[in-house]
Amino acid sequence: MDNFKNKKDKAIRILSEPKDSKLITHLNSCVHCGLCAESCMYYLATNDEKYIPAKKVDIISSIYQRYCTFTGKYFPVLTGSKELDEETKDEMIDLLFGACTLCGRCTKHCSIGVDISYVVRTGRQMLSEMDMVPATLQSTVNAAVQTGNNMSIPTEEFTDTLAWLEDELKNEVNDPMAAIPLNVTNTNILYTLNPREPKFFPLSISAMAKVFYAAKESWTLSTIMYDVTNYAYFTSNNEEAIIIAQRLYDEMLNLNSNRCILAECGHGSRAFRWEAPNYLRKKFPFEVITAVELLAEYISSGRIKLDKELNKEVMTLHDPCNLVREGGVIEQQRYIMKNTVCNFVEMTPHGTENFCCGGGGGQLAMSEYNERRMKIAEIKAEQIRRTGAKVVVTPCHNCVDQLMQIDNKFKLGVKIKTLAEIVADAIILE
Amino acid sequence: MEVDGKEFKVDGDGFLQDPYIWNEEVAALFAKFDGIGELTEKHWAIVKFIRKNWEDTGMAPMIRSICQTTGVKLKDIYQLFPLGPARGACRIAGLPKPDGCV
Repeated sequence: MDNFKNKKDKAIRILSEPKDSKLITHLNSCVHCGLCAESCMYYLATNDEKYIPAKKVDIISSIYQRYCTFTGKYFPVLTGSKELDEETKDEMIDLLFGACTLCGRCTKHCSIGVDISYVVRTGRQMLSEMDMVPATLQSTVNAAVQTGNNMSIPTEEFTDTLAWLEDELKNEVNDPMAAIPLNVTNTNILYTLNPREPKFFPLSISAMAKVFYAAKESWTLSTIMYDVTNYAYFTSNNEEAIIIAQRLYDEMLNLNSNRCILAECGHGSRAFRWEAPNYLRKKFPFEVITAVELLAEYISSGRIKLDKELNKEVMTLHDPCNLVREGGVIEQQRYIMKNTVCNFVEMTPHGTENFCCGGGGGQLAMSEYNERRMKIAEIKAEQIRRTGAKVVVTPCHNCVDQLMQIDNKFKLGVKIKTLAEIVADAIILE
Repeated sequence: MEVDGKEFKVDGDGFLQDPYIWNEEVAALFAKFDGIGELTEKHWAIVKFIRKNWEDTGMAPMIRSICQTTGVKLKDIYQLFPLGPARGACRIAGLPKPDGCV
């Protein structure tokens, strides 16, 4: 019990010693208008009121009331405040880890601007302080912290894979000088990868290498730090998030590259581009942009030439929440689609109103909530079905995996591709 | 999880809870569950290699090793296992679920 009390005290300190006034404002502002309910996939798919986003905010704000306000400390019954006990802790785990993809749709729709997903992340941070992160999610963070990449790929296996892909590239572009450069200093670009690419899904690496070749880009990969992901963003463990972000920052300086290009990865691009300067408390002396923006730049500047007749199938686009609603990259992927494929059909809704694939917020890693994840996925399945598309394109490897599972479960008969793949398919080499 | 009247203890993602109870019959039943149907020679070559690699090293092999050892072309692997090498092939080979975005 003492052990639980120690952990509880650590968790409450997150609420009682906030770094700025933002948290307190967002904990004290919900007017229970209910607009967030219809934003949430968990509520829409189950009609269960416990999933309404405001209720997730309520848990944290009632703990705040109980331990951090005068009335809550002395008259807890009058204020609707809540003890942080075993029962509350279990409820927090179930709702904040098990029933939220951090998609941010509720935040966007909140009538008074409560940053609901920030409050959920604060709740996750409290659970993280209490060592209550679901084991399957923590395991991916541990792999990254301990081995340098979230799939524990040994360096030799990584370099062998890239050598293999380099041979394929030489064949494809019919040029023995075509390369996938490793650890080269002073290049224009340091490119990053999601470890699932070298491990299991390398077509997107080949695609991007072909694009770089066509653009005559000066680029490199690092064998020291190439992992674009930061799962500690999902667990809200800032100490671990800092370790991971610091590595990429250091490698940028070490290799002295101008531009850090974040692979097609929703949370990874958010974690390094928007969160990492706060994690590390630094303004970065180099540019950080996503592969999506780079591809759009290559097309608009004429650095690569495309023939969209090479992509004839009907294609739709899935918007990753962390890149689009939460990351502000909205039009570039549409510009790429329009220049790369003949038949592009939007989902309804799309852009900043789009629904999550259902695998965000660490859900894909958490086996504990698999059934729920595939239940809320019916919304995305229906969206895809209505487009009539044969290919779903998405600039996020996590979304790719969830969409593959959606295709399989709901028998959609679609292929899932990254943006780099469809661009590479349409490239004309001069 | 139940296939053909046989019960399997699996995690939330359908990976075997005890990887050591795996045998070829388990693989065939899991493949059936995934809608793959009868496993072909290529399927078996991949599944057996993944299994052996895991028994020897404790890890799922890289896709490069799978392609180079079995001679199956990369793009064909995704056709053979629609859920991909991790949730498809590794699961049929009785491995625990890998970490990361899979």
